[in-house]
Amino acid sequence: MKLSTRLLNLLTAVGCFAIAGIAIAYFLINEKFEWIPEAALELVHEKELLERPEAKRCSECHKDIYDAWKDSRHSISWTSKTYIEASENRTKEKCLACHIPESVTGEKPSPRLDRRDEGIYCVSCHFINGKMNGPYDLVAPPHPTHRNPDYVNSRFCGSCHQKTFKEWKETGEEDTCQDCHMPRTKSRLTQKLPLSLLHKKKWVGNHKFLHGDLNDKNILMEAEFNKKFFNVSLLNNAIPHAVPTADNGDPRLYLYLTFFNAAGEQVDQAKEIIAPQQETALPFNKKVNFRYRLFDPTDQVDIVLKYQPAWSKEKDLVWEKTVRRKSK
Amino acid sequence: MHIVRVLSLLIAITFMISQPVHAKDMVIKEPPKSLDKLYPPQSEQPRWTQQMHKLSTHFGAVFINLKEKDFENVDKHADKLVEEYKKTSEMVPEWEEYFDIKAAEAFAAAAKTHDMAKAGKASGGLGKTCGKCHAEHQVAVWTKYHWPSFHKIKVIDPSSEKEVDFHKFMKQISGSFKAMRVNFGEGQYGRAAKALKAFKSEYMELKSTCSKCHTTDDVKRFYVGGDANKAFAGLAKELNAEKPNPGNFWKNVGLVGKTGCKNCHLTHRTSSMIKEVWEEK
Repeated sequence: MKLSTRLLNLLTAVGCFAIAGIAIAYFLINEKFEWIPEAALELVHEKELLERPEAKRCSECHKDIYDAWKDSRHSISWTSKTYIEASENRTKEKCLACHIPESVTGEKPSPRLDRRDEGIYCVSCHFINGKMNGPYDLVAPPHPTHRNPDYVNSRFCGSCHQKTFKEWKETGEEDTCQDCHMPRTKSRLTQKLPLSLLHKKKWVGNHKFLHGDLNDKNILMEAEFNKKFFNVSLLNNAIPHAVPTADNGDPRLYLYLTFFNAAGEQVDQAKEIIAPQQETALPFNKKVNFRYRLFDPTDQVDIVLKYQPAWSKEKDLVWEKTVRRKSK
Repeated sequence: MHIVRVLSLLIAITFMISQPVHAKDMVIKEPPKSLDKLYPPQSEQPRWTQQMHKLSTHFGAVFINLKEKDFENVDKHADKLVEEYKKTSEMVPEWEEYFDIKAAEAFAAAAKTHDMAKAGKASGGLGKTCGKCHAEHQVAVWTKYHWPSFHKIKVIDPSSEKEVDFHKFMKQISGSFKAMRVNFGEGQYGRAAKALKAFKSEYMELKSTCSKCHTTDDVKRFYVGGDANKAFAGLAKELNAEKPNPGNFWKNVGLVGKTGCKNCHLTHRTSSMIKEVWEEK
């Protein structure tokens, strides 16, 4: 047999073994990881990953999750200007537990002493009692990850967002916090080759923790002239918690009304502040009514709804509407 | 005669000014600046209060252990007390003179005889040093470091939507409250109704202000709760009626004042007024 043929056969055999090895590893890791001896796993563990690493270290593998988190409010919970101002340069003790949580477990957390600049970071939520936790049981060679059903349960977010969690619970709706604020897409948990190829694609939640949009489909308005009064009602018909909602922040909806007479001249104006801290936020599926006395003849009312998040001094337009008195 | 009168007056004034503070008088003097570094925001922890707790714990532990005849721990706490007492005496230079190291050492020595009577007697000398400083400064320290500084609190004026100084806002809300009452008294019900709207929105804004420090809703509701809401609804009902009922109107005015204004002022104003004097300096 020629040397070249021998070499070709050898390479083919090595290739087959390699493919078979990868296939077996893939099968074991994704389907039967309990068959892998603990001693073998110990060899590939990176122990420092179980010593509360910084977020950047996690990003070496979990780049996409890190990038989304970096873009989230959670990543700046300790460094945001709004927080620093509101907490009088971080001196208010009540804020610490949720702005720099040690470990989120479904109960109100304790504040931590290290890595405060990272805010609510990977370790805060995924490292519990010395183990890496997540929504899946994973044999992840660098660190084993234990499945914890809390990660797809609103109670987990309720550790800090206690009032919002309570509001949601009272609605009886099934969609969890994660369903709306961490929508899942099928993708890989890691982006580091070759590790990323060893795991099947999984449903991965968006770690930017999306803030929902308000519009005239989820905040409905009805209005009518009634003799000397003008009545307006607002209904939050789609968001299963109060709108706006916050435990300690101060997000607001501003409802502006401008009253005009038949000649188009402004005769009055009014304003409502709809805010959780004033206990005026719009509950789920319950109309909130406002009544205005018309001191002067009024034929038209312009109504504008604006939203100001807790972390901003700017207001965004939600919708604007005009209501005209029906001619007799 | 005129000179005699002027001289008498001057002597009387001098006498009044130089009169010492009597035992039952209390002078609330601003604590020394050096204490700032032992409290937030300059310090992450209220270190001075923690130090006081340490001293109190070691002092109390001596007697607890004497009673339990745990003499090993009596000695340990007596030594720790002296150590912490010395450390404390160096923390605020302006207060160094309140400390009597010899009294602390004498107490520790008496405690180490394991004789309760001797320890009790020696504690008097040490206790006096604590008591003197507490009598002269404790209220001031509590006022300065444990009560909020209202001048630092900003309130969003619901009308302009701009952040305004707390005191300015309180003047504004007081003006709206007055405008409603004055207009009602004059029979100007339309104007009174408009003033009520402004007053109510300013009053409700204070709920957001409360939440800057108080995390529990119960505290907010103590000031601006169900009673206040009912009173506001009652005021609106009267002002929107064809013929407002003065009895109902004034009853609700009283309720708003009693449930909100008075409760908050009783709790916060004393400390706030003292701090204002210090902050104006």
